[in-house]
Amino acid sequence: MNGEKHIISILVSNKPGVLSRVSGVFGRLGYNIKSLCVAETADPEISRITLVSRANFDFTEKTKKQLDKLVDVIEVTELMSSESIERELVLIGINMDEEQKPEITRAIDMFGCSIIFMKSNYCILEVVGDKDKTETVINYLKPLGIKEINRTGIIAL
Amino acid sequence: MEKTGAEILLQTLEEEGVEIIFGYPGANTLPVNDGLLTNPIRHYLMRHEQAAAHAADGYARVTGKVGVCLSTSGPGATNLVTGIATAFMDSTPLIALTGQVPTSFLGSDAFQETDVIGITMPITKHSFLVRNEKDMRSTIKQAFELAKSGRPGPVLVDLPKDVLAAKCRDREERDIRPPMKQNNGIKKDHEQLEKIAMALNRAERPVIIIGGGVKLGNACIEMTELVEKGQIPFVSTMMGIGSVHTSNGYNLGFIGTHGFEAANRITHQSDFILAAGTRFSDRSTSDVDEFAPLATIAQIDIDPTSIGKNIKTDIPLIGEIREILTNLLPLVKKKSRTAWLNRIHTEKQNLEREIPFNGCGQPGRFIGMVQEAMPEATTAVTDVGLNQIWTVRSWKTRIPRGLVTSGGLGTMGFSLPAAIGAKTGTPDREVVAFAGDGGFYMNIQELATINYYKIPVKIVVFNNGHLGMLRQMQDLFYGSRFSNIELGNGVDMVAVARGFGISADRISVEKPEAGIEQMSKTDGPYLLEVMVDPEDYVFPIIPPGRSNMEMIYGKPE
Ligand SMILES: Cc1ncc(C[n+]2csc(CCOP(=O)(O)OP(=O)(O)O)c2C)c(N)n1
Repeated sequence: MNGEKHIISILVSNKPGVLSRVSGVFGRLGYNIKSLCVAETADPEISRITLVSRANFDFTEKTKKQLDKLVDVIEVTELMSSESIERELVLIGINMDEEQKPEITRAIDMFGCSIIFMKSNYCILEVVGDKDKTETVINYLKPLGIKEINRTGIIAL
Repeated sequence: MEKTGAEILLQTLEEEGVEIIFGYPGANTLPVNDGLLTNPIRHYLMRHEQAAAHAADGYARVTGKVGVCLSTSGPGATNLVTGIATAFMDSTPLIALTGQVPTSFLGSDAFQETDVIGITMPITKHSFLVRNEKDMRSTIKQAFELAKSGRPGPVLVDLPKDVLAAKCRDREERDIRPPMKQNNGIKKDHEQLEKIAMALNRAERPVIIIGGGVKLGNACIEMTELVEKGQIPFVSTMMGIGSVHTSNGYNLGFIGTHGFEAANRITHQSDFILAAGTRFSDRSTSDVDEFAPLATIAQIDIDPTSIGKNIKTDIPLIGEIREILTNLLPLVKKKSRTAWLNRIHTEKQNLEREIPFNGCGQPGRFIGMVQEAMPEATTAVTDVGLNQIWTVRSWKTRIPRGLVTSGGLGTMGFSLPAAIGAKTGTPDREVVAFAGDGGFYMNIQELATINYYKIPVKIVVFNNGHLGMLRQMQDLFYGSRFSNIELGNGVDMVAVARGFGISADRISVEKPEAGIEQMSKTDGPYLLEVMVDPEDYVFPIIPPGRSNMEMIYGKPE
């Protein structure tokens, strides 16, 4: 789906079934969720859902109004890139033969990632950063044979 | 004192002013049914759960109170779904109580377990699963608050059997309110209000569109004052019919696909629209790009999601309609708009001359005669199809909440059970249900309920042997290729009604006098089968995809 990236932060009651109500709003309005992260806040009765979606201009208004109507939603805010800090953690599993080792080591130095697992010719890298950084690292490593990737999705404040 | 969850439930319902529940029991509601033996709340045993939901809906629509229905888990709960959706689309305050398997069985595909909360999520305002009897009272109170507040609607409460049966001491009960919302989207916005007043005062050709929200928001009096003070012509949506009573001739009827031509034409020509309590559904606007192209649109609604949902609004204002109108009234100036009012007067007169019986032919004439034969305090309940359009176009709303119709969902089978709800809610009024043969068959089992409780509703079934409205569409837009719409005339409805213990008669729509007289003087329930020509359609009508200005008066050549 094209359109701009939106990061929405939603404070909700920390109860069963709440996430399906929230995600239901996006589904019914026809918006795809690109990434989603849910965790308790400092107050254990309240969770924060951080959600990234790509959509056209009236996205925020439409979804915000619908989300505000949900009883379990306490607050909805769109986080603007200019006014918030975003981070994502990515785990990248790579097959590496002898030839590639120097390149990978260079990437680790250059981007400040760390190796968190290593076995003869396979390692897992951890990358933390904003979208630009994680994308750059992934693009750099792609030609070297990424075997698997898992990402937390963006969180932001 | 120790009480069971079911006893707390019933006590809380009583505290909320509930007098009647429409329901159907099952193993998982038995603690409630047992409690009802010693509680003053009356339970009407319907013959189908869908009917229980429609009856509660009809009850709520005529009383303005919250309607309550009760079903068991599994098939009982799924049978409620159409009724809940009907209430949701027309913003009826409704509490649906569903029995559920005991908590220890939840999620195990136990006998008669369905995830009714999951199934009804998109058609309820909210739903609760009561996991502990200690939370029963506060959950039920919240459910009522939610059903009534803001834009009203259905709330479902799922009640596991063990929670209903468990005992609990008064002091163990707890309050489980959710964390407070930061804001409810409503802020007092005086600037917007002044903008609306200015635009309205400046307008040369203003029109007010009255939606169902005006009635729901108890703003009929304020709206009448506005119309009269500003001398502003008004139209309504189908749900807004009967909100304003005034004899000054500014009422143009309802707009849309099956609306009045004058209403559609005048709305189209307007330069300013004040829309109150309407979402501009496609049934009202037809082709939305062609809707009122010259008008500045101001929209007021309690529900932020209704604003700008289907149409771009120039001056939106969120809030209680009644409060907004009260504040708007002193700002509105009386203005003489002679040219505009003259144009309206001429259009109205011309059209009324051209289309006898409001375009409803013999059935329209018949409905008018029924209304004259019945007391003024009579509520009309419609089904869906041609019969609905005939009724809403022909019935003159003379009493508040006197017309009940499924506008948003268009649910066939609504009229019979909704009439039961309407009659039990307002026993001092007469209630007439108007249905087509198709819709009548859909909840025909409720004749048994009417007989058992001796509910004195009058039932008019227009028998054209067809799904009439679809026959009209196939005739007009599919080159008269009739397919899958014939019901036939093999059923003797009078015998059927009598079999259910209800007096009945058959008449032709052309010669209805004797039948109408018999119906109006019968004390108990009465069914009138009215034979109608399958080619009695409604005109004018707007073909699919066209604008409100493209009404047609007959078969396209
Ligand atoms: C439950 C349901 N199923 C299908 C429809 C689609 N539908 C709309 S009008 C209509 C025909 C109704 O026929 P009948 O009840 O005989 O009334 P008439 O139009 O003849 O007055 C149908 C099938 C509907 N509105 N509701």
